[in-house]
Amino acid sequence: MKDLRRLLFLAVAVMMLGAGSAWAHHSFAMFDLEKEVTLEGVVKEFPWANPHVWLQILTPDGKGGTTEWSLEMGAPGMLTRTGWKSSMLKQGDKVTVVINPLKSGAPSGRLVRVTLPNGRVMGPGGPPPPPKPGA
Amino acid sequence: MNSRPVLASLIATLAATSFLLAAEPDLHRGKPDIWGVWLGTGGYPDIDPRYRNTPWPTVEFTAWGAAESKRLTTPETPDECMPYGPHAYMAGGSLFPFEIVKAAKGLVLLYEPSPVPRRIYYDGRKHPEDLDPTWLGHSVGRWDGETLVVDTVGTNGRGRPLNGYVAAAVNSKTDNAPRLPVSDRLHMVERIRLVGRGEYLEDEITIDDPKTYTRSFTVKHYWQRRPDLEVLEYFCDDNRRPEAEGHTGSKP
Repeated sequence: MKDLRRLLFLAVAVMMLGAGSAWAHHSFAMFDLEKEVTLEGVVKEFPWANPHVWLQILTPDGKGGTTEWSLEMGAPGMLTRTGWKSSMLKQGDKVTVVINPLKSGAPSGRLVRVTLPNGRVMGPGGPPPPPKPGA
Repeated sequence: MNSRPVLASLIATLAATSFLLAAEPDLHRGKPDIWGVWLGTGGYPDIDPRYRNTPWPTVEFTAWGAAESKRLTTPETPDECMPYGPHAYMAGGSLFPFEIVKAAKGLVLLYEPSPVPRRIYYDGRKHPEDLDPTWLGHSVGRWDGETLVVDTVGTNGRGRPLNGYVAAAVNSKTDNAPRLPVSDRLHMVERIRLVGRGEYLEDEITIDDPKTYTRSFTVKHYWQRRPDLEVLEYFCDDNRRPEAEGHTGSKP
């Protein structure tokens, strides 16, 4: 239930990012926000830095090599406040990601959600969950 | 042992201390508890309607204002890592918290995504006459009962618009509201007060900018008290990828 609530919350956050909030760092118009693509790959890098965190993953290119995907997430603060730690992903981790791909077709996209090696599903960062009543 | 010198020294110390305290009055004593971390309510559709940001108003632009608003709907937007102006600083977004900190001469606002802190002096000073332009301008405040009234001038007019940094044309198919820029002629007056039993902060912002608008307008923005959050580090230039981020047209 708690996870469902979190997912719903992230879905709202994602919609707001897509809708052009007053506070987003920049546009997300270059991503096809109506299209979702699922990829399975291996983490190459997870640079935890502003203005945005990027998840770099390698996927098989079908020719014996790999393709490197650059997946954009929120700012580190947005990730921290939605339950992320930079240690949750490290080089070599196998992950499944759902992304909004770049319209240009280049191997890049906006991360929608990622399934961590331990099965936990995490979003791209967004506003923190509302305070708990009575907290 | 004679205790007189000790007593005399103690009295002298107390006298000196009270003199120092008198010289530096605590500007915050007895004032409303606006201190701490706040988060804009703008991103929470379910927020109590009483604490919901007012919609962007319909405005009447001057010729310069119309041109500037249009310019901000193209990729010719301000650089995304530049500081916010005072209007956008106070726009009530929910992605980043801000913190209100007590300072000797007033208060300091630390808004996570903006590289420049906002200072509001309320030690009785006025705006300098020969003010040099800055991103956030010069802000002086005074307490009107429970309300902090803040007057800001001296902005450089180079910041993002009131309603968002990114141009409508490149940001979203659905957000077609005209961008609401401000110029270096901005005169902004705010009335900041606690509402909702102190759990919310209201900022009534009046934008008076004769270079941009034919008449002034007022909006209200709200923050919720969030002692569970912290304002974190944000150094925007760290890992910029303008090509991948799709805003190569933005200019400093």
